Amino acid sequence: MDALLRVVDLQKSFGDTPVLKGISFDLPKGTVLSIIGASGSGKSTLLRCVNLLEIPSAGEIHFRGAPVEFRKSHDGSLRLPAAAAANTLRRRIGMVFQQFNLWPHMTVEGNVMEAPRRVAGLTKAEARDKARAYLDKVGLLLFAGRYPARLSGGQQQRVAIARALAMEPDILLFDEATSSLDPELTGEVLKVMRTLAAEGTTMIVVTHEMAFARDVSDRILFLHDGAIEEDGPPARVFAQPQSERCRRFLTEFVR
Amino acid sequence: MSETFDLSLFWEYRLVLWRGLEVNALVFVLSLVLGLVLGLVACLVRLAPWKGLARAGGAYVELCRATPEYVALIWFHNVAPFLVGWATGIRINFNPIVSATLALGIVASGYFAESFRAGIQAVPRGHVEAARALGMGSMLTFVRIVLPQAFRTMTPELMSQSIGLLKTSTLVSVIAVPDIMYQVQMVSQQEMKAMPLYTGAAISFFVLIFVLTSLVERAGLGTRREA
Repeated sequence: MDALLRVVDLQKSFGDTPVLKGISFDLPKGTVLSIIGASGSGKSTLLRCVNLLEIPSAGEIHFRGAPVEFRKSHDGSLRLPAAAAANTLRRRIGMVFQQFNLWPHMTVEGNVMEAPRRVAGLTKAEARDKARAYLDKVGLLLFAGRYPARLSGGQQQRVAIARALAMEPDILLFDEATSSLDPELTGEVLKVMRTLAAEGTTMIVVTHEMAFARDVSDRILFLHDGAIEEDGPPARVFAQPQSERCRRFLTEFVR
Repeated sequence: MSETFDLSLFWEYRLVLWRGLEVNALVFVLSLVLGLVLGLVACLVRLAPWKGLARAGGAYVELCRATPEYVALIWFHNVAPFLVGWATGIRINFNPIVSATLALGIVASGYFAESFRAGIQAVPRGHVEAARALGMGSMLTFVRIVLPQAFRTMTPELMSQSIGLLKTSTLVSVIAVPDIMYQVQMVSQQEMKAMPLYTGAAISFFVLIFVLTSLVERAGLGTRREA
């Protein structure tokens, strides 16, 4: 079966500093891919390249069998595809950020309604129904009328997940979704993520939550210094990693 | 001395003076609208990704902010029509209210542009990325996510700048706009009693601006709102 997402030899440099040095992977529909690795290994950059928040320096991204048509600068570097193409791709790929990034001037419901209404073109009533359904799913329907500033971090992140889900994307990206939460708040967010995974949502998860990665993922990528150092199903990666670096990384994390 | 505060003369001419105040209000509103529109445009030009354009925007803002309103009024009334006439070949004069609106609006736009810029740049980048990641285009993101937040941040400053503009509108008598100060001068020449009229004008402006400032505070626009 064709992969939902295929990344081929993806490279990214910031100025002269290479951050990604040729990453390739396939993401079949309905699977969860976890990306682990130390800070600065390129995990977040890789994720941000997938929905074009960063523009790769070289390489290919195929979404549902079709290549993302990057434009080329005269010096040969890649540029964003035409705005319409980029926006179409992005609305099919949802993203949850480390810092939640809810919009403070809108209510919880307003945050979730915004894209279905303005991007997908639903009517206000349809968008509200959809928003309420997804807020219910993350257990926050009662908070629909509140402003984000009045919620805890864990609640804000669950709203952010509902906001991404409301566009009914083909893939959900999680960029260290629990890293800025207090330990007692990570559980509620991880629980939502586990539910989504169990329902067959296609996800790429950049995380430091090793238990989550081990239990939920179909495949693990361990990144080191912008390259894939270890790649396999969690049972093998956690039990007998091939790479010495990955083994050390895991023993530090899993106590 | 008692004559200074004898406002009966001021009261006697209240209709003329009221009409003058209406002219102040008109000039104020017109130049406020012009200033806000030009200010937003100048700010966007200044933030444009093309260096040359951004620099031109920056130069416009600096020029506006470095021009005293008094000088701008006289320039726009006397020099600008001449330049327009020279460029188009049609001899024209500006109605003083037009000159005043242009002069005050354009000078104010420099200050408004800077407030807009500060407000826009204060919006966290992550908020923009969240919108883009949902497929919202740059224009939609700007209108729905950036601008409303920028407005909230800049409202207090916008309010104090607007009240400053209202004060500045009393300069327009210099180009014979029939505002309240102009009327006061006319009446005092007729009556040969300047002091009570000037005192009356000062008091009415104090009352007007004090009331406006209080309303702004009361509406909670003088301080940054929560969320």
